[in-house]
Amino acid sequence: MTLSKSQYVRANYQVNATPQLKMLSDDQCENILNGALEVLERTGAEIHSEEALEIFKKGGCWVDGNIVRFPSHLIEWAIRSAPSRIVISNQKGERTLFLEGQNVYYGPGPTNTYTIDPFTGERRRPRKSDTVRAAKVIDALPNISYAMDCGTVMDVTPTLSDVHAFQAMLENTNKPIIHWGFGIDQYQDIIDMAAVVAGGLEALQKNPFILLYSESSPPLRHSAEAIDKAIFAAKNNIPIVYTPCTFAGGVAPATMAATLVIAVADSLVGLVAGQLVRKGSGFVMGGLISTMDMSSTILSYGAAELSLLSAGLTAVARYMKIPMFSTGGCTDSKVIDTQMGLEAAFSILVAGLSGANLIHDCSYMEYGATSSLELMTMDDEIIGMVKRILEGVKVDDEHLALDVINKVGPGGHYLAEDHTMAHFREFWSSSLINRLRYDGWKAEGSKTMGQRVKEKTQDIINNHKPEPKPDHVLREIQAIVDRAEAREANKQ
Amino acid sequence: MSNYYEELSQSIISGQLDRVKSLTQQAIGAGDNPVDIINQGLIPGMSVVGARFKSGQMYVPEVLMSARAMDAGMQLVKPLILTEDIPSAGKVVIGTVKGDLHDIGKNLVSMMLESAGYTVINVGVDAGPEKFLQAVKEHQPGVIGMSALLTTTMLAMKDTIELLKEEGLRDKVKVIIGGAPISQDFADEIGADGFAPDAGSAADLCKKLLA
Ligand code: B12
Repeated sequence: MTLSKSQYVRANYQVNATPQLKMLSDDQCENILNGALEVLERTGAEIHSEEALEIFKKGGCWVDGNIVRFPSHLIEWAIRSAPSRIVISNQKGERTLFLEGQNVYYGPGPTNTYTIDPFTGERRRPRKSDTVRAAKVIDALPNISYAMDCGTVMDVTPTLSDVHAFQAMLENTNKPIIHWGFGIDQYQDIIDMAAVVAGGLEALQKNPFILLYSESSPPLRHSAEAIDKAIFAAKNNIPIVYTPCTFAGGVAPATMAATLVIAVADSLVGLVAGQLVRKGSGFVMGGLISTMDMSSTILSYGAAELSLLSAGLTAVARYMKIPMFSTGGCTDSKVIDTQMGLEAAFSILVAGLSGANLIHDCSYMEYGATSSLELMTMDDEIIGMVKRILEGVKVDDEHLALDVINKVGPGGHYLAEDHTMAHFREFWSSSLINRLRYDGWKAEGSKTMGQRVKEKTQDIINNHKPEPKPDHVLREIQAIVDRAEAREANKQ
Repeated sequence: MSNYYEELSQSIISGQLDRVKSLTQQAIGAGDNPVDIINQGLIPGMSVVGARFKSGQMYVPEVLMSARAMDAGMQLVKPLILTEDIPSAGKVVIGTVKGDLHDIGKNLVSMMLESAGYTVINVGVDAGPEKFLQAVKEHQPGVIGMSALLTTTMLAMKDTIELLKEEGLRDKVKVIIGGAPISQDFADEIGADGFAPDAGSAADLCKKLLA
């Protein structure tokens, strides 16, 4: 009889079921959180919304003109009152994104000014048909877990670009959607459309498949537009992603710790507003955090600091038990090239290891100005590799396989072993990465990664058929779009 | 003619505010012509800074330190000169257009213009055509600069140009535009006089247009 390891007597055995990355210790997280509490109590934040000022005042903040100072106990209450887990469904009502613990889900990014056409290679203004394409690609790629619009569409009524993009996504994917809107009117349209899909507002609230999205203006400034959306989302009981774009050296000090303090403080302002409106309303903190390039003045989407800071912010979010919206899979490169690949891969890996719940911008080129479906397709491949790494190394009797090692003995091979049969499919196998031998690669046309990515993207756009929604649902969605058009026409 | 100028320029380049102040003070004490202090001490230093920034040898924060040092020197000299004699490369009104709250880029452009010797009137964010018009009437700038970061708000740039036309002021002022979604094509389309992709080239553009 062979003696398996688990029959040994053993104590205090610890397992790393996954690889471990914790950018900050709990003590460091506490230190950063305390820094943010001190900033909000001492310096305060500038709030440009009457409604928000009223809510903060009633909630016990010190309001002095537009400056609101927050007592720490109120923020600590809000941190505890917000749910530590939010479950997001797909559009068929199946619970799919468990934003809790360190579960990781990747997706693309919103509202770019340009897009790269995957057929012509042209960089141009996004059209509604581009969001249709984007939604199809999102729908088809297994490692892209939710949809965002991949560009502000320019061939529709300008103030309804968001509403049209949302329609394009609803019609072409059933994945969950995170969506930005211009203002409260559009947010209402978006919620109404989502309610049609979910089968009523209550069903949507119980099982949301959307997260609304709002951005404050760091440092410590919250426009009416930004904070009113957080309030609106809480009133309507729909979860919101509230995210400042904090970049070191520009809207925050040049040090990483201070940049984290500003980002945390600005997220907390949105959190408190939402919790004061509705205790327990779903809140996801963000978001985009990096450095300013001091030569070109871009906010860098490819910087090493983007990964460093995002992982740091994720650690603090985790410490507070607030779900986290992070960034990865993006690049400062303008074309599908090596720089793109390496920046995307690094940020996807680090964001994954950090355990951020939602990782967005897996489609952002040119420091966020341009979207690319080809980058999204390539990111899908990178995410596949990263997910494999996140599986970690299983260490148990079956996986240690000492008996098999003993059986094969020195100098043998394992190719024909049952054990190999049972496990070799755990190897990650790729669809885009090329591992053919030279002749095979040549026989297939000597294609570069860029070419293969392009072909796959085009193939999805040409051939992927997302599961269609019932006609009556599509008609009701169209009616809401028409209603919005009529409203905007009246405003003119 | 004093021998402070070379060191003054060097201190501007290295962004040493206190040194610039004391050298300027000494030059004034030595009876130098205030306009010479500006033209031969302060401005040459800043020109080097501009050139080094463009070639990637200096970074934005360093440029701003130099600009601050330059301004400190200017503040000491200015009271000694008649306003019309103060050397200025020209006046620029700058703002972010209606509906748009992005101001980091605009503020950077404004700081870079100031450091290149322009007098800048910053009208802030969410500035509608009337606000630009008002500023043009009040300050009579050589250039107005509009910034937009949103594809939806960039369309508002045209409204300002139209309003200037209606008011018969279009010929009196050059219009330049910028911001991430702006391109030369768009500038041509709406009839602006120029576009610059970043803060460094914005100063060059003004120089070209006001030449
Ligand atoms: C920081 C930021 C914010 C901050 C702004 C804080 C602030 N105080 O300005 C906050 C968080 C508030 C914000 C809000 C929003 N933002 Co924003 N934001 C950005 C971001 C990440 C960086 C902009 C920036 O400051 N860059 C650094 C500066 C130095 O560069 P710059 O602005 O380009 O300026 C340089 C040049 O353009 C030029 N220049 C600028 N102005 C001028 C003027 C003249 C005359 C000249 C000659 C030159 C010139 O010189 C400057 C210096 O070199 C960009 C992404 C990007 N890649 O640009 C998105 C971006 C501009 N935002 C975007 C959007 C959509 C928004 C929001 C609508 C929400 C959202 N979904 O993200 C709100 C809108 C609020 C509003 N009403 O304005 C989109 C725009 C897309 C579109 N289709 O229009 C972008 C491109 C991001 C994206 N891909 O989604 N944003």
